Amino acid sequence: MKQTAPYMKTSGHKHTISREEILSRLEDPAFALVNVMPKETFEAGHIPHSINLPLSEVETKARQIFPVLSREISVYCMGPT
Amino acid sequence: MSYTNVYHYVGGMTDWVESGAPVERVEALLQAAQATRHIQPVSARRVSWANWLDILANWSLKQLVGFWLGIIIVFGFVYWAAGVGMGWGLQAGNTTVKPDFVGLGTAIYFSFVTALSIGYGDVIPLGPLRILAVAEGIAGLLIFGCVISKLVSRRQEELVEEIHRTTFEDRLDRVRTNLHLVLSDLGTIDQINREHSALPSHVLKRLESSERVFTGELKTIHDLLYRTRLLPEEDALESLLANLTLCLAALIDLLNSQTQRSVGLNADLKTISNLANEICGECMPRSYAPALKQWMDQIQELAKKLA
Repeated sequence: MKQTAPYMKTSGHKHTISREEILSRLEDPAFALVNVMPKETFEAGHIPHSINLPLSEVETKARQIFPVLSREISVYCMGPT
Repeated sequence: MSYTNVYHYVGGMTDWVESGAPVERVEALLQAAQATRHIQPVSARRVSWANWLDILANWSLKQLVGFWLGIIIVFGFVYWAAGVGMGWGLQAGNTTVKPDFVGLGTAIYFSFVTALSIGYGDVIPLGPLRILAVAEGIAGLLIFGCVISKLVSRRQEELVEEIHRTTFEDRLDRVRTNLHLVLSDLGTIDQINREHSALPSHVLKRLESSERVFTGELKTIHDLLYRTRLLPEEDALESLLANLTLCLAALIDLLNSQTQRSVGLNADLKTISNLANEICGECMPRSYAPALKQWMDQIQELAKKLA
């Protein structure tokens, strides 16, 4: 069976976040913004203050980067597709 | 066991870029200092007098001097050409300046004298040329002023940069000193702890206070690592991280042999473990040397113990 990446395994329903909310909380250290694109794509351009965690590394590194499970995390990739 | 507060930004980069929101690039971060100097959003604004001065002020010293000399030479040619073509040119003494090479020299000389607002009066403009001469006087003064201010501000910019650097270093020094104080304080408290079975209340207060200092400095270091605006030198950062690790280890040792904890102490401990938990080699917005990463990982390990 295909295993889902840990960040997708949210308890309850899947939450979405709007651009406005991200903009308003950019400077908030309690709010983590995660870019799941490959390193090269991340370097070419990303939302300020976001952390790069490529999808391929989510399984291995997510726990290390965010050990607290209740941490507020927003993930994004290239677009809606 | 899974994350409970995950949100998905469905629009992603495409939506973000389309909305015109700021985008950060890695090369841009590296050249942040340079970049701030190059961003000059003048094109979109209406160009007024003040903006013209802004544009002039943004030119480099070389460009300004070149422009200034260019204006003087061009005006000199205009004075001379006016004499050749239209008959109303310059007058030196009682004779008009002739349209030959000597005349050209005189015209350029007059142009310099006017632009520098010296105005000897040995050569005078005739007729409509007087308006041109006044205009040149104004332009020459303005541009020359820009050249002078550039010379002065260049030194000033150096000084401001120096001040920024020293303040930043002072701050790092303060963090280092405070961490050292916390460490020695924790050592003393540990000593007392071993001599008595339980800590006397005044020592407990001391523990609380040094823990508060430690929390503050941990916040500073956390901020330093996550906000990429200022970059400390690698050695300085390493010594900070090493001190931080020692303090954290000492704190954990002390807490293990000690059962009394006040409410304030517990609240601070929670902050410490949360902050330290987020310091690890791989999760920083910038990549660091392996030695630094090791310290960071060690800090995270200790934070897990604390929690």
